[in-house]
Amino acid sequence: MFSDRSLSTNVLRKLRSVVGNENVRTDPGVLEAYARDATPLFHAYPQAIVEPDDAQQIAEIVRIAVEHRLPIIPRGSGSNLCAATSAQQGGIVLTTARMRRIDEIAPAELLARVQPGVTTAALAKAAGEHGLFYPPDPGSHTVSTIGGNIATCAGGLRGLKYGVTRNYVLGLTAVLGTGEIVATGGRLWKDVAGYDLTRLLTGSEGTLGIITEATVALLPAPATTGTGLAYFADLEAAGRAVAEIIARGVVPATLEFLDRRCMDAVDAYAHLGLHATAGAMLLFGDDGEDDQVAASLARMRQACLDSGALSVEIGGVSEAESLLAARRCTLPALSRLGSLTILEDASVPRPHLAEMVARIDDIARRHDVVIATFGHAGDGNLHPTCVLPSAEDTEAIARAERAFGEIFRTAIALGGTITGEHGVGAAKLPYLAERLGPAQTALLRRIKSAFDPAGILNPGKLGS
Amino acid sequence: MADLFDPDRLSRCISCGFCLPACPTYAMTGDEASSPRGRITLMRALDAGRLELDDPTLAEQASLCLGCRACEPVCPAGVEYGQLLEEWRGAQWQGRRRPLIVRALVLLVTLRPAHRLAGILRRAGRRKADDADQLMLGCVERTMFPRVSRAALTLAPGLAADPDQGCCGALHAHNGEPERGAAMARRLGDDLPGTIVTTSGGCAAHLASVIGRERVREFSEYVQDQRFQPVLIDGRPARVTLQDSCHLRNGLGVWREPRRLLQSVADYVELPSAATCCGAAGTYSLVRPRESRTLAKAKVAEIEAAGVDMVVAVNPGCLRQLRQALRRHRSRVRAVHLTEFLALSTKGPHSS
Ligand SMILES: Cc1cc2nc3c(=O)[nH]c(=O)nc-3n(C[C@H](O)[C@H](O)[C@H](O)COP(=O)(O)OP(=O)(O)OC[C@H]3O[C@@H](n4cnc5c(N)ncnc54)[C@H](O)[C@@H]3O)c2cc1C
Ligand code: SF4
Ligand code: SF4
Repeated sequence: MFSDRSLSTNVLRKLRSVVGNENVRTDPGVLEAYARDATPLFHAYPQAIVEPDDAQQIAEIVRIAVEHRLPIIPRGSGSNLCAATSAQQGGIVLTTARMRRIDEIAPAELLARVQPGVTTAALAKAAGEHGLFYPPDPGSHTVSTIGGNIATCAGGLRGLKYGVTRNYVLGLTAVLGTGEIVATGGRLWKDVAGYDLTRLLTGSEGTLGIITEATVALLPAPATTGTGLAYFADLEAAGRAVAEIIARGVVPATLEFLDRRCMDAVDAYAHLGLHATAGAMLLFGDDGEDDQVAASLARMRQACLDSGALSVEIGGVSEAESLLAARRCTLPALSRLGSLTILEDASVPRPHLAEMVARIDDIARRHDVVIATFGHAGDGNLHPTCVLPSAEDTEAIARAERAFGEIFRTAIALGGTITGEHGVGAAKLPYLAERLGPAQTALLRRIKSAFDPAGILNPGKLGS
Repeated sequence: MADLFDPDRLSRCISCGFCLPACPTYAMTGDEASSPRGRITLMRALDAGRLELDDPTLAEQASLCLGCRACEPVCPAGVEYGQLLEEWRGAQWQGRRRPLIVRALVLLVTLRPAHRLAGILRRAGRRKADDADQLMLGCVERTMFPRVSRAALTLAPGLAADPDQGCCGALHAHNGEPERGAAMARRLGDDLPGTIVTTSGGCAAHLASVIGRERVREFSEYVQDQRFQPVLIDGRPARVTLQDSCHLRNGLGVWREPRRLLQSVADYVELPSAATCCGAAGTYSLVRPRESRTLAKAKVAEIEAAGVDMVVAVNPGCLRQLRQALRRHRSRVRAVHLTEFLALSTKGPHSS
């Protein structure tokens, strides 16, 4: 559908007249820099990088793209892990780098209104200055943008108690594939006028509309945070402890686990002095009033011990921060083990967590690949990560891909899904139909064409 | 263009983007190409032959990068960006592609006799017994800021200071001549046996990377256990702040030491961006004057807001940059080197 590599001078002139010369770039080196995101093995050149600074400009860019049948790939920080910003069919990468304004923090209404290029951490910080709290905190929070978070419905380390990005999006302004600007939802906690387009845009990976403004809900900041660290013989045992904790009625803010390989990689970077021989660790944490946090940590501690923990430590606020920071860097730290790290994102119902862990081990063994596993245990969300010694070893990559194919099918068989939070992107599109079935897949297509009849918004992703 | 880069080093990066928020040039532009991750992507394209050395983006990014290495400590994968940049510039900054000003500067510091001409040298120079720790005089510092070494010798009287010592080659290594830079560091290591003490964070990091960390002590590390009297201004403790030296902090991990020293003698205030490059960055203020000034301007605003008497530097380049910027913005705050500041300590050193 989309052809020639370099854009015609006519198209470039039009784009430049909208955003200014310096905000349209086509130099080969610049295109190279945008030819990938955080996903390995996906490399595709866009034809231009365009940096608008408001919704009106974006609407005009969309109209130009429709006229010339040019794909538009919205991009925040390019930290996604599913090749969601890969320009598979060429086109324009539209970045939100110039849309980084926090327009409003409204303590009386417990909400914030921001442009899409604001980073998650910047929003959290701004909210914090008003004694407020923006709960979704993907591991990438210092890097990722709110636009990217919403478009992937990012999860994070507080998912169990606080939910994920979708639970905080109140309203969106977005430019559709027609060039129309819509404002869905708003500042209201209750609003059932119309289909819930806010939710539909959330997680739409830039295929339905380009988000130009978001209104998100905030909460009062919890008084304190505490964490604990439990060590186990293996990840399966840690998985059983997770089930035990939840069975006892505790719903903590954080329940993250790491296997031995991940622990080693993280400790090589963060020097925390983690247990030297345990096969796995479980990081648990809660927030709230002092006594409530203490009680919750004590109950989790007991649940871990009753599930066979080798040892359990409870720490204060400062430990909490460094432990969480270390947990967040697990994926990049794993790259210390090899030249190519491919990470996955399977999610299963919590009761099947321990079983899924065991099945992953077995799959890795059968396909002869090294898989390190960590994840948001409390959410049943696992990140099995395959570490390969060389990025050139196509045979090993093929083995890893077969292993992951099997992991997805196992997850689906256990009532789970192919991606818990990272998204489908170009990387998992081949598995999407398997997860959704024919009727839903067809429905996705029809929804897509209602929002984007010309099919220009991030083609080759989700419903396109 | 194979063999430009150490393959293990180049393959380490997984493009996670964790380094983006730490990079001053990314903050300035919001452009992936001027982020650490983007630059590594460019290096890979060069390595794989997808881009040629003549590519304008490569040229632009090789010079826009400060080389501050703020991207290193935040990288969980342990990517050695500073080394990669040296390798990149080693290929990129050859012949006519090398910025003119860089050519001139490197030539200047390579001429060893130039140091000897500066008369102050002899006075600063001091030979000592063979087993004494050696003060490195620094080729830029000894000509521009001779007082820094003099103060260092007052504070640490046991140090020897051989006037004939050469240049450590940091400037060469960072500006397209990694091999020569390493050779010069090795030669200096031979000239000055034992522990080398330096008042320049940039030299310390380069020297340590070649002759070994154990042989190099940056001055604040060297005197960290000494006790100094309070530095008073108008009878009250001086109010000071610190500008980190990028390579000292990001390359050697030394940043607590100078702070502790300052806290022990003065009313210390931390600048919000103390860890961020001031725009001096070796030859940067000459190669990229516009960006360098942009960074310096933001720094001066912070220094002014901190309401300090003095801002302390631990690297001659930063000292020069801060002095010029403060003057340009008509600030009353003075920039001094750590040794000069400690020398103000009313009664000099007191052993504890
Ligand atoms: C080390 C590491 C840890 C991570 N941890 C987590 C985690 O814990 N939880 C989690 O969920 N994810 C995690 N991620 C994945 C990633 O950070 C998230 O997917 C994040 O939401 C992406 O944000 P971004 O700004 O980088 O978006 P990008 O990668 O730029 O884009 C992601 C998607 O959003 C679309 N998009 C971006 N901006 C807009 C816009 N304004 N309008 C419409 N569409 C838009 C893009 O087209 C693309 O489809 C992690 C990634 C890394 C590298
Ligand atoms: S340099 Fe490090 S932090 Fe930056 S993208 Fe590469 S791996 Fe991530
Ligand atoms: S050295 Fe400094 S300017 Fe260069 S990429 Fe790293 S952080 Fe950015």
